Amino acid sequence: MINAVLVFNNAGQPRLTKFYTQLETSVQQRLISEIFTLVANRPSSACNFLPLPPLLANSSKSSTPTTPHNDTPSLVTYRHYATLYFIIISTSTESPLALLDLIQVYVQALDGLFENVCELDLIFNFETLHATLGEMIVGGVVIETQLDKVVEGVKAQGAVAKRPVNEGKGAMGFGGFGRGDGGVWAGR
Amino acid sequence: MGIYLFCLCVNSPQLAGSILGSTSSSPPPPPQSPGPVIARLFEKSLYDLIRGMRNHKGSEKEYINDSIKECRKEIRSNDMDLKSTALMKLTYLEMFGHDMSWASFNVLEVMSSQKYRHKRTGYLSAVQSFRRDTEVLMLAENQLKKDISSPTPTVISLPLIAIPHVINPSMANSVLSDLLPRLTHSHAAIRKKTVATLYRLALVYPETLRPAWPKIRERLQDEHENPSVTAAIVNVVCELGWRRPQDFLPLAPRLFELLVEGGNNWMAIKLIKLFATLTPIEPRLIKKLLPPLTKIIRETGAMSLLYECINGIIQGGILEAVEGTTEGEEVARLCVGKLRGMMVIEGDANLKYVALLAFDKIVRSHPYLVSQQQDVILECIDDPDISIRMRALDLVVGMVNSENLNAIVGRLMRQLRNAPIASAADDPNNDRGRNTGVIPYADEEDSDAEESLRPHEQTSNQPPPLPEDYRVSVIKRILEMCSRDTYSNITDFEWYIDVLIQLVRVSPAINATLTTDEDETESTDDVGSSIGRELQNVAVRVKSLRSEAVEAAQSLVFVDRRDQMFPSSGNGGLGVLEYAGWLVGEYANYLTQPEPVLNSILHSSTVQLPSKTLAVYLQALPKVFASLASNDQLSWTPERQTLMSLLMARIIHFLEPLSTHPSLEVQERAVEYLELMRLASEAASGTTTGPEHGDFTDPPLLLTQAIPALFIGAEINPVAAGAQHKVPLPSDLDLDTPINPNLQYLLSQADLEGFATDDDDDVYAAYTEPLTSSTTAAETTNISASDRLDAPHKEPTSYQNAAEEEYLDPDILARRKAERKERYKDDPFYIDPDGADKSASGSGAVTPLSRIVRENNSTADVDIDSIPIMDLHLDSSSAARSRSPRRQPQQPAASRRRVEIMADETLGGASSDPSDSSSSRTPAHLLPPSGKSRKQLLQVDSSGLGSLSLVDDDDEQSTRLPRHITRAEQERREMEEAEMKRALAEVERKRLEMQRASERIEAVGGEVVVSRKKKKKKVAAAPKMAGDVGPSAAAEAEDNNGEEAVVKKKKKKKIKKDDNGDGENQRDDDQGHAGEEAPETAPVKKKKKKRRVVGLDD
Repeated sequence: MINAVLVFNNAGQPRLTKFYTQLETSVQQRLISEIFTLVANRPSSACNFLPLPPLLANSSKSSTPTTPHNDTPSLVTYRHYATLYFIIISTSTESPLALLDLIQVYVQALDGLFENVCELDLIFNFETLHATLGEMIVGGVVIETQLDKVVEGVKAQGAVAKRPVNEGKGAMGFGGFGRGDGGVWAGR
Repeated sequence: MGIYLFCLCVNSPQLAGSILGSTSSSPPPPPQSPGPVIARLFEKSLYDLIRGMRNHKGSEKEYINDSIKECRKEIRSNDMDLKSTALMKLTYLEMFGHDMSWASFNVLEVMSSQKYRHKRTGYLSAVQSFRRDTEVLMLAENQLKKDISSPTPTVISLPLIAIPHVINPSMANSVLSDLLPRLTHSHAAIRKKTVATLYRLALVYPETLRPAWPKIRERLQDEHENPSVTAAIVNVVCELGWRRPQDFLPLAPRLFELLVEGGNNWMAIKLIKLFATLTPIEPRLIKKLLPPLTKIIRETGAMSLLYECINGIIQGGILEAVEGTTEGEEVARLCVGKLRGMMVIEGDANLKYVALLAFDKIVRSHPYLVSQQQDVILECIDDPDISIRMRALDLVVGMVNSENLNAIVGRLMRQLRNAPIASAADDPNNDRGRNTGVIPYADEEDSDAEESLRPHEQTSNQPPPLPEDYRVSVIKRILEMCSRDTYSNITDFEWYIDVLIQLVRVSPAINATLTTDEDETESTDDVGSSIGRELQNVAVRVKSLRSEAVEAAQSLVFVDRRDQMFPSSGNGGLGVLEYAGWLVGEYANYLTQPEPVLNSILHSSTVQLPSKTLAVYLQALPKVFASLASNDQLSWTPERQTLMSLLMARIIHFLEPLSTHPSLEVQERAVEYLELMRLASEAASGTTTGPEHGDFTDPPLLLTQAIPALFIGAEINPVAAGAQHKVPLPSDLDLDTPINPNLQYLLSQADLEGFATDDDDDVYAAYTEPLTSSTTAAETTNISASDRLDAPHKEPTSYQNAAEEEYLDPDILARRKAERKERYKDDPFYIDPDGADKSASGSGAVTPLSRIVRENNSTADVDIDSIPIMDLHLDSSSAARSRSPRRQPQQPAASRRRVEIMADETLGGASSDPSDSSSSRTPAHLLPPSGKSRKQLLQVDSSGLGSLSLVDDDDEQSTRLPRHITRAEQERREMEEAEMKRALAEVERKRLEMQRASERIEAVGGEVVVSRKKKKKKVAAAPKMAGDVGPSAAAEAEDNNGEEAVVKKKKKKKIKKDDNGDGENQRDDDQGHAGEEAPETAPVKKKKKKRRVVGLDD
């Protein structure tokens, strides 16, 4: 299952934190900063999987070669879009490549809701950010992976606020995301 | 209201600025919330807060604190809009680590608002801020129940999403009844969310599944169900599946159907993962699965699905199952070929990463398949991406053998040597300033945040410097690979020693935090000591290479070459000195340059070493000195005398300050050797010297004999870690009972008595031993005490024998035995094992006392020589049984190229080694996480599910979680109890009918017997309640006592389920198994039996 979904920007400021198990606020912050440290220095050519941050790795260190327990978070997947990092922490029962696609669907859904989504949209509408996630993942279980249904579900909850007009110039087109790893089922 | 607004204005002047901004640019209010205009004018919206934060660069902290203060006021307002906005702001700040637990009651208030917009805010805050210990959780329960039952779908969604975050067992029980009807809600969105919520409910309260699972299964079986809902159910089933795969076998046909239909890749991936857990318990599935899986592999365009297919084939054991057939070879080739393709494909690091993951799973079962791909895998060791390197590293450790070891280690060594050393800025430890909590300061540039979310281009493509934990991990893996199976992969030990020396040089610096307290540095975590331990190990085990190993240690010890050995990368390798120091001391006679070694040990910088290393150095000092000074073939010339005196003076000079060293270990050794050296020094100066070239003069004995004798003795051999545990405890050894309750008194008595009357020296010697002498005292007072005193006295003697067995030759053993016999000849308390039967005939040697002793002892107790020796199976070989020499070297284990490697000394087979038994593992994922302390962050504890059967099968009821009983549950139970009684009476009546019927057809045999048993088990709970049961049933009940409670519980559940319909138990049974009649591929035998029972009932 999925243990946490995090979004933070290039400076490590959180934009969304969702932990599917209860965690002390201070520990949450530590975890975010540890993951940010790990993710920040990676070149774009690197793969989208992180080694476990120290907070999560400590107890499993002793038994390195054994397969991780199915309940322990053992996979940190991330994707980097412009100014934002999207991170999913999950157990080994999730498929790593599929999680990348899941992040992709999430971002596409946000893009559909905000029309050319950018970080500012997410800052000012973090409630919508949560609502969108809630249409895709409930309690760590993925319930929807189809883009249109996710968007539809969020729209059913009420109008999505637009970014304040005077806040910035027009956003750039949202086109060429993705790495061409061909794993997007949404396009199928 | 007016006053309140006024206060607000006064307290926060900065509002004035933002009012204008907020009116012009705040998000358009959603239609359903007009809100009082005045309030909106003066309140600070979330938008204002965020803007304010962005405008207060440098003073965000104060700004946020002010804002939280405002929120504290606003949240107490009666205006729901104000309240909810304040809550929203707090939730936003919570994301940055600002505590909002104090507002939990207000969260509840907002949750209970009538407006959806408020509700949504309230629920979001609850999800984000409620913790396990939040007190208002109890109060939230009603609100949750109410909203679940709301007619509006969007409102229902809110509690559905929130419940997984806030649920606890008692709440789960109460919410469950409201959730269940939502599984059949008209909106698909509600149904799928309910499924996921029920899963999380089941995690904290496994009983959830009892009523919920049949309904979920029904949804899954329904072919007209919305595909989204089906997919969500598959996700949940997959989560449940690895816990109890056997429960999901009946679903296999439907799941298979879904897999073949395709349509949703995410679901297909989940299905494949689920099947991978099912195939090991139902091999017939493999044949069915193989065609669709290979089809997907060939046809799919989605890489994730392709990868999971291959992964499923590997993990499901399909490769093994079809091995040998042409089909199997084809599948294996297909899988491995695709994986290889993933590795070599240009520019996609992710595929490389996952392919390595998959290879890692194959390597244990199919090492040859992986070793074919060695070339591409080894490439990954040098990949610029650390994640990939780590995976590759894990993998090569698994695939190493004697042929490729040198190449792999060579690669890793090269990497360690050539990679730039991580600068301090890259060290994550230096970045911990963030841990204090991220302060949301304004973004550097607004335009940055405006950038559309497209992949960020980074130009830097340089290989990153190796982080230190990676270096450490590489070094440890190298050591692990090389030392595996007692060096069975190593063909060239000289090479290995060179590698070790090289590793010392590339060892990363130890973190300053680790070395702050010298005495507490954990040697296990230190790379230097790991290397040192290896060097020591090689020197001890591989005799033929010992001189080389000692040479290496010598080079490490030299002070003048320290810069070369421990280069600028820090002092990480210094841990090796502890072991190098031991080596130069222990094998001082192998040293090629003992004088420089001694000089290095005596060097003033030695004192700076960690106390642990220093202590080892001090121990090595006299050993090296002894090797230098002990030559008794050289004449004691004046020149030699001066040389020795000088040397000893230097040693004394070195040791003197250390005799007050703070570390006790160092101090003790320093003092001991200081005294020894002073003594030797006196002896050396006192012994008259001979002429320079004349006759031979004996050097002082203290130098040539005494000091070396301290250190030269039995050779040190490796002993297996668990060997000590294997020494069997004699069955009659009682370490718990006191030897004698008033031993103190007896001893003082013994002292008083004296032994003047007895002038036989041997006997006197025997009596002076306190233990024996106390026996005499015991004779007068308590006979059985002597009995007890004897045994402990003898047992240690026997142990001594066992130890001697280990290192003494048979002739010595024989001599010792004879000596002992002689010594105890006249001891009235010594029982000669050989003379045991002679004494029985009443020989003159038997004293009255010894007879008493013997009469009170069982013969087995007395036979001191035989007990432990017979018990100890020291070695399974016949040679050992005939008490052959057990000196080292043992059988040359796995010697290659004439290199003899000593195996660990141990008792019995290696398989019973305690460390081994822990590693003979059941698959790790089946083991429950051991204890709360080891539970990881974020981890969900699903262990409760493991013991809950989803199949209504009486046989699987033995394990059930103890239920957490709340008051509400208690009441409900009492009601159930009453219903239960009625139902039981009904069951009892049926049973009697059944019994009569079965007695009539008893002759039919087997099948009927089976069914009878089943039926009786069901009513085993009856006797307690109903009281009037037939005798046969009572007997049955006794058999089932253990299960009784469990069965009872199950009954209750069933009855509860039937509350709506009629209370026929049999009907319920039939329904429960309706789903299981469908499967054709995997009908379990038990089910068949079960159905027969049902048939009989009807």
